[in-house]
Amino acid sequence: MKNNLGKTILFLLAFVVLQAEDFSYDFKVDNTHPYVKEAVILTLDIQQTNKDVVLLFNFDLKENDNYQFQRLNTLETDSYHNAQIHYEYLIYPLKTGEISLEFELLKKITTDESVAYSFSGDRDNIKGLVTTDTKVSLPPLTLQVKSLPEGTLFVGDFTLTHQLKIHTAKPYEPLPFQVYIEGQGYPPLLNSILPQEGAFTRFTEHPLVKSVATSKGTQNAVSYPMALSHSKSFTLPSIKLKAFNPKTEKSYFLSVPSQHFDIEEVPKDTLLDSLDTPKPFSMDWSWLANLLGYLVVFGAGYLTALAWKWQKKKVQKSLHPLHEKITNCKDKKTLLQVLMATDDKRFTSSIEKLEASLYGDGKINLNKVKQEAQDLL
Amino acid sequence: MNTKITLLKKELAKAVVGQKDMIEGLLVGLLCDGHILVEGVPGLAKTTTINALSKALGLDSKRIQFTPDLLPSDIIGAQIYNPQDHSFSIKKGPLFTHLLLADEINRAPAKVQSALLEVMQERQVTIAEETFKLETPFLVMATQNPIEQEGVYALPEAQLDRFMMKLVVKHNSQEDELDIMRKAATKGFGEVEAVLTKEDLHTLQKELYTVHIDEELELYIVQLIGATRDPNAFDLESISSCIMFGASPRASIDLYKAAKAHAFLEGKTFVSPADIGAVIHNVLRHRIVLSYEARAKGMRTDEVISTIVETLPIP
Repeated sequence: MKNNLGKTILFLLAFVVLQAEDFSYDFKVDNTHPYVKEAVILTLDIQQTNKDVVLLFNFDLKENDNYQFQRLNTLETDSYHNAQIHYEYLIYPLKTGEISLEFELLKKITTDESVAYSFSGDRDNIKGLVTTDTKVSLPPLTLQVKSLPEGTLFVGDFTLTHQLKIHTAKPYEPLPFQVYIEGQGYPPLLNSILPQEGAFTRFTEHPLVKSVATSKGTQNAVSYPMALSHSKSFTLPSIKLKAFNPKTEKSYFLSVPSQHFDIEEVPKDTLLDSLDTPKPFSMDWSWLANLLGYLVVFGAGYLTALAWKWQKKKVQKSLHPLHEKITNCKDKKTLLQVLMATDDKRFTSSIEKLEASLYGDGKINLNKVKQEAQDLL
Repeated sequence: MNTKITLLKKELAKAVVGQKDMIEGLLVGLLCDGHILVEGVPGLAKTTTINALSKALGLDSKRIQFTPDLLPSDIIGAQIYNPQDHSFSIKKGPLFTHLLLADEINRAPAKVQSALLEVMQERQVTIAEETFKLETPFLVMATQNPIEQEGVYALPEAQLDRFMMKLVVKHNSQEDELDIMRKAATKGFGEVEAVLTKEDLHTLQKELYTVHIDEELELYIVQLIGATRDPNAFDLESISSCIMFGASPRASIDLYKAAKAHAFLEGKTFVSPADIGAVIHNVLRHRIVLSYEARAKGMRTDEVISTIVETLPIP
């Protein structure tokens, strides 16, 4: 009962009817005790009272950091010598405490002749509407703005959805991530809605805002296009955005649960741009490698030739067919036959010794003669 | 060693350095009335040796350079018509000599070769209708160049058989070549003088008959020659496919005579198996005809002979 009475008194205060020269006007504010960023609807009705003159009006709110405003509607009933104008504004207070809404009103008085002339003439002879302007001082309207609960980011009735198509990517490949916030209230805009925790790279753009101001507040549809990337698998912490609904006077959270992203290992070589990215500068030692290669090949060839030569000599000496034949001779006659068959004068001495032993009275050591013959090979 | 042989060798050494095998081969040929075929590259003192031998023995020597356009009459001689008295006279060719160097015999056409080889065998020359006996000794030393084989007329086997020995003359040793070089530069070769006569040579040939050869060695010679004809009969299956034709009976005769001459030159009074072994390659290497298979394998007749000598047991 007490609360109802208070609201009734506030409404009466907000309904102010004032009488000025030549015209009357009245302001209406739907809420004189709004929360910060809560929508307040202001209406102004001007009624011409002096029917002898032609009256025109220009009305607007003064710019101020304490509030934002937007004209929703202007309705003019332009009957002859009886101007009636209805203005409707959407106002968002931005500061707590008492703030004043200040106005500018310009009254323009003209005559019927001037109005008539202003519609005559041709393209090269235009006559403007001649008016006598008078600034009308309107008293400011005071709002008692209430503070928001601590940590409130958005004010209004919003819902949050997000879109995350892939959870797996290659290193540094962007992972598209989109958050949509829709609802009625002060436009839910933030520089970044991503949490500061996490070492991944964040790519953000300005949010895409679609908002329509109505007499019930601003209808918003805001999307936050983002992308994430990292070289390793990572986890995006949960996003919690605190919002406050002034109609229910309750806080709530718009949230995105924690998301894990798997980054596949990719060989580094395949990541390099072999066409456009020049190789990092390094000293070219390939000539030395080539030179060493040639030296090794040359050395190997030279040693092979030497080894071949040594082997050949060794084989010739040890495996000379006559060498073996002489070794295999078991008696003097056989050795004599073998040496005779050679037709080699080097063995003349050995042959003579063998003959002297076989057909004369000479005495020889067969092994010694063999050795002598083998030494001649 | 026979003093005459020693003297002869010493005299030859004045003009010829090294080449002992060739000198020994020529002496064997002279003692046995045989002819020698020499194969070797040019410049190995073949002409020098013949000239030196002729001077040392007081014999005539001539040299014929065989060429493709040579005619038989160029070597044996011809009947010449004399227009002044309308008569024919005999012009003897260069064959009428004691020692003949037939240089590059395989460059002459077959008819010239045949004419020479007939003379070598018959030791007489018929010009027109008149026959002339050649003086003894008569030795032909024919040469062949093993390098140049283009434009040559290879001697047929039957004609090669007329040569008692085929010597393969090789280059001198480095020491000998150094000696030759120095002597040639300072004209240091001595003048060869006649140290023996034709009669002395006949005496030596007669002495050769006295050199004894055992029956077993005679049989050994026959077996060696037989092994070239029928290797399988002597357990020489390994070379049976290598021989197309074996040595002729002339080979037996020449091996017999050459072995005796070798023993004689060595100062021995008997022939030993080593004497046979010393000459068998020279006597047989031009008499054995290798099969196509053996030639394709790159075999030489010397290898066949060595195999035979190695295999056949010596007495």
